[in-house]
Amino acid sequence: MDNITTITDPTGVESVIITHDDGSFTSMLKSTYDAIQASSTLAANSAPQANSTES
Amino acid sequence: MSRAQLTSMTADNVVQETLVGSTGNSIKGGSVAPFVAGKNKIINGDFNIWQRGTSFSSISSGTFTADRWFVNFDGSGATRSVSQQTFTPGSAPVAGYESSYFLRLATTVAGSGQTYSNLAQRIENVQTFANQTVVVSFWAKANAAISLGTVFGQNFGSGGSSSVYTVGPSFTLSTSWARYTGYITLPSISGKTVGTGSYLELDLTWPQNSTFTLDVWGVQLEAGSVATPFTTASGTFQGELALCQRYYYRQSGTENASMFLGYGQAYSSSQLYWTTRLPVQMRTTVQALDYYGLQVYLNSSGSGYGISSISINQSSSISPSLFVTCTSGLSTNTMYNIFMAGSSSYLGFSAEL
Repeated sequence: MDNITTITDPTGVESVIITHDDGSFTSMLKSTYDAIQASSTLAANSAPQANSTES
Repeated sequence: MSRAQLTSMTADNVVQETLVGSTGNSIKGGSVAPFVAGKNKIINGDFNIWQRGTSFSSISSGTFTADRWFVNFDGSGATRSVSQQTFTPGSAPVAGYESSYFLRLATTVAGSGQTYSNLAQRIENVQTFANQTVVVSFWAKANAAISLGTVFGQNFGSGGSSSVYTVGPSFTLSTSWARYTGYITLPSISGKTVGTGSYLELDLTWPQNSTFTLDVWGVQLEAGSVATPFTTASGTFQGELALCQRYYYRQSGTENASMFLGYGQAYSSSQLYWTTRLPVQMRTTVQALDYYGLQVYLNSSGSGYGISSISINQSSSISPSLFVTCTSGLSTNTMYNIFMAGSSSYLGFSAEL
């Protein structure tokens, strides 16, 4: 399970640090993270599928 | 020059062709020359570039695999992997075409509750191919006769109109390599508002809630209704790498386990700022970093300070400034070196759509 923390650097920039199970990290500005979360929810609710079952 | 081909129509706008001999120089029709840079809007359609690695197990939705390609799905309980596979010279994927690698997507545990499942690529700018007929083509095979569909998503970016999804042609794959082509006319964007970061998305939709192994190579999306011979977006190795690096750039320890990355100036005993330079101007300011196994050193012979986080301080499309937090011991205002700390170390910069 990814661990998500928020840091603020000395100049006031807020970032999200995602620690993955394998010990690797992903970081991004908190504003970017929030925008991705919002668009992911929107996409999941609207994307159609061309084929729904194996033929 | 000519080539013999067997063509069978499987639907009104779907073609499966099996090349039985080809020079690779002929085209089937239309006015598009066979090797034109920019004809194919899919980047890394030959799966030759894998900056993030060559094997991805237990992948989660949104994971990027081969450069520019990501998986997107819902549901739960499925086990999937994506891996780079190597063509045997002379066999890839049909006579007359040669390439190094193809992509394999395997679902070994079916899972349940899936309503969408895609191998996808986002093409910059929703105006791409809007209100035009486009033909998608690719070579593929599977472990059994499975259905592979297509969906085209027009995303109007931040502040833009709502996304429009259009279901494209579907194909029934066989267990042998074959090229599949199908065309569709994409919706007009008349009356839409285009915001920042808009894109056209091609989804190759794989079977849901079932197990399968899918191999794919040579994905092409071009204008018209007739597929022309495959070429990469740029037509060159270095051009394709640069195209990929517009969206993602990784420095990796596999090349040099102790690679020097740059200098940073200590702000405190455990913090430093570091401005780096990217080899290609990215699509937009760097949106995310991914990293593993980096260290800070005063000099190449001293003890290292383990890095606990790297974040973006001032983003840029070419020269981002980073904020690094490491174990304590730095001297304020002193310059330090940032190095890879092993062959598995890496630092990636993303400006993906």
